[in-house]
Amino acid sequence: MAIIEIKNLIKKFGKFTALDGINLEINEGEVFGYIGPNGAGKTTTIRVLLGILQATKGDAKIFGLDVWKDAVEIHKRIAYVPGDVNLWPNLTGGEVIDLFVSLRGKHDKERREKLLKMFDLDPSKKCRTYSKGNRQKVALVSAFASDADLYILDEPTSGLDPLMEQVFQECILEQKNNGKAIFLSSHILSEVERLCDRVGIIREGKLVETGTLDQLRHLTRVMITVATENPIEDLNGLNGVHDIEERHGGLNFQVDSHEIGNVISHIAKFGVKKLESTPPTLEDLFMRHYNTDGGE
Amino acid sequence: MSGNFNNTGRLVKFMLKRELVISTAWILIIVLFSMGIAPGMAGMFDTEAREQFVSNMDNPVMIAMMGPVYGADNYTSGAMYTGMMLLWILITVGIMNVFLVSRHTRADEEKGRAEVVRSLPVGRLANLNATMITAFIINVILGLLMGLALAVTGVESMDLAGSMLYGALNCAVGLVFAAITALFCQLSSNKGGATGLSFLILGVFYMIRAVGDMQQIEILSCISPLGLALRSQAYIENIWWPVFILLLESIIIAAIAYKLNAVRDLDQGFIPARPGKKEASAFLRSNFGLAFRLLRTSLIVWLIVMFSLGASYGSIIGNIDEFVGGSPEYMQILGFDSAVAEATKENIQMYFLSFVASMMTLVCIVPLINAVMKPKNEEKEHRAEQVLARVVPRFNYIAAYTALAYAASLLLQFLTAVGIYSSAVSIAGDANPFALGTLLKACLSYLPALWVMIGVAVLLVGFIPKAAGAIWGYFGFVFIASFMGEVLGFPEWLLSVSPLHHISNVILGDDISFMPLIILTVIAAVLTAAGFIFYSKRDTQA
Ligand SMILES: Nc1ncnc2c1ncn2[C@@H]1O[C@H](COP(=O)(O)OP(=O)(O)O)[C@@H](O)[C@H]1O
Ligand SMILES: [Mg+2]
Repeated sequence: MAIIEIKNLIKKFGKFTALDGINLEINEGEVFGYIGPNGAGKTTTIRVLLGILQATKGDAKIFGLDVWKDAVEIHKRIAYVPGDVNLWPNLTGGEVIDLFVSLRGKHDKERREKLLKMFDLDPSKKCRTYSKGNRQKVALVSAFASDADLYILDEPTSGLDPLMEQVFQECILEQKNNGKAIFLSSHILSEVERLCDRVGIIREGKLVETGTLDQLRHLTRVMITVATENPIEDLNGLNGVHDIEERHGGLNFQVDSHEIGNVISHIAKFGVKKLESTPPTLEDLFMRHYNTDGGE
Repeated sequence: MSGNFNNTGRLVKFMLKRELVISTAWILIIVLFSMGIAPGMAGMFDTEAREQFVSNMDNPVMIAMMGPVYGADNYTSGAMYTGMMLLWILITVGIMNVFLVSRHTRADEEKGRAEVVRSLPVGRLANLNATMITAFIINVILGLLMGLALAVTGVESMDLAGSMLYGALNCAVGLVFAAITALFCQLSSNKGGATGLSFLILGVFYMIRAVGDMQQIEILSCISPLGLALRSQAYIENIWWPVFILLLESIIIAAIAYKLNAVRDLDQGFIPARPGKKEASAFLRSNFGLAFRLLRTSLIVWLIVMFSLGASYGSIIGNIDEFVGGSPEYMQILGFDSAVAEATKENIQMYFLSFVASMMTLVCIVPLINAVMKPKNEEKEHRAEQVLARVVPRFNYIAAYTALAYAASLLLQFLTAVGIYSSAVSIAGDANPFALGTLLKACLSYLPALWVMIGVAVLLVGFIPKAAGAIWGYFGFVFIASFMGEVLGFPEWLLSVSPLHHISNVILGDDISFMPLIILTVIAAVLTAAGFIFYSKRDTQA
């Protein structure tokens, strides 16, 4: 069953169109990575999903319920962590966690303690004294303590150190293994690569690409390093070959993923001594869409 | 739409917890002040003095300021208490409610705290609903305590029935302003806008009833919740219907706020936010420009406040002798010494003027301290480091704010003098007993004392920022020393700790003695310089 279902979602702020026809589906047990440059519309999408912004047009459903009308019902089963967590300066972290937990109505003291330990958070300090990372931990602890069916996370690790980032990833994988769905907007590509089953790339309010990482990789180029007995002829003439460079008696070039078969069989005629191929990283994918003039 | 109010109860509990200190303080101060002043006021006037007093009150200027005079034919202590106190207490309660409501609605939204709360199973209206319920609880407690406190003061004409009505008016007007603020919190997309508009409305309501009361247009006065509340005539006729109308008004206004809240996006308002400038002007790009920009609004507001305060004091100078002439206590507060001066009309006027000038000077210290404390608050909010991490030397950073404080001191004193003079002259005409020049000289001669206050503040911010709040303690001391120092029998050395003590009284005919002014200026300069140096040397602190 689709946990999140977004159909042709449009959100305007006055004349400015922040989301321009988003279509998306996220299923049970799936970790979905939502990536895109600053101002692309990630947070706006999430705020519509949370029912705190009203869609201008289109449909967004979670658990089959309307995100605006049935917000309270939906929120009983989701947990949210914003990128920039702001708390009441005069309350302690522990008090805030308890408030959030009590507003949700479920209470699992043991889990709370375990998470506090895992994230190494001192709950007795006033929120005023917390760093950004520590405030984020407050939100993470109360989110993961909640036993939700869907986690919505908006750049949740932007203030965490690598150690805590690790803890966070473990928590996500644990939830995933429990069959929970996770919607993760992130800037940290290694995190997305490690955690996400599917990725959506949003730019200027439009979803420009969605699919598994493998599918997306097909959209980009593979880097090939090759050395042959005889010089390769006619490489230039092949479809999908780019940026040929000579290096140490061999060649470096890029190939469009879908042309790779043709190119390899062409090269094979010249007696391959050495062949290395490097798959495109998410960075490459990312850059392709981030540069306004990049890509197509 | 299911569950718009879900979880209201828990939020109310949470808000009450957050209000434990601050609202308790508001309530206690308002109630204890109201309670404490009643016996004193009753004791100060006998029946005859009250009759004298009320005949002075019955003129358009006083009515515009204080509200209509009720119960003049049998002017009891209770009638006098309501006449003198109720309007001002209601304004205070209104202010309390503006802060209370905006604190729990727009402030939480603006600071991004509402977002996580709303992602929980919390109804769309739960926060506003909880805020209004919290405001209801707090105002009811205030009203009840006020009623009971006034009833037990034992002033003969202040019975339980009148006191409960007095308390109920506090509660009802409080709720009207809570609802008005709730409404503006929906309309404006930020806290500053919402509170600003609410205070503006408070001021407009005061003016509307001033015009209505003065021109005797009842319907106009009743449009204003403040004017309507005065129609209850607590301790005189004890009329209850205004309370119910006020409650009805608050319900209607709150209902509109709920309606708007239900359909709007988080962080958005209905009054479109003015888009900011894309680029900083050349002026704002400088360190000084930034300081000016950050202080600008509050300084302008203070300039207006000082001018209007001055003007309102000026407006009563013309017949001040009628108000205070019969009361030795008031005369003593003015520092009038019958051994030195005769109680002629003009003498009393000049004593009053000198009292007003020193009082206004003290008030003027507040914005000056605020300006110097600004860099410290910027530090606390971690904004200072962003400026300092760029090319601005620490020395220049604090110097910009300090320079503005010095400049403001001059402007504030100047406008105060002009405010007092222009309204005094417009009412008294040729009979006005003093020249603008004298008043200006008096107000400006206080400047070196103000500079010492600035200097102390700079030193604290530079040297012990954690304890910089102590400047308010010093301010409190200076305040007490100025008005009660001699009555309380402060020794000379203690009095001279206050810089204001060294300023000669130009209004009462003393010559300006320049030596103290020079010494104060030098002290101010040394303190300021020391503060700069310490500030340049120390770490940025949170
Ligand atoms: N309340 C708002 N009013 C006007 N424009 C907004 C508002 N919120 C977001 N935007 C604009 O919408 C675009 C998308 O923002 P956002 O969703 O926050 O991006 P991001 O992908 O970085 O999270 C940005 O250009 C932003 O300026
Ligand atoms: Mg964002």
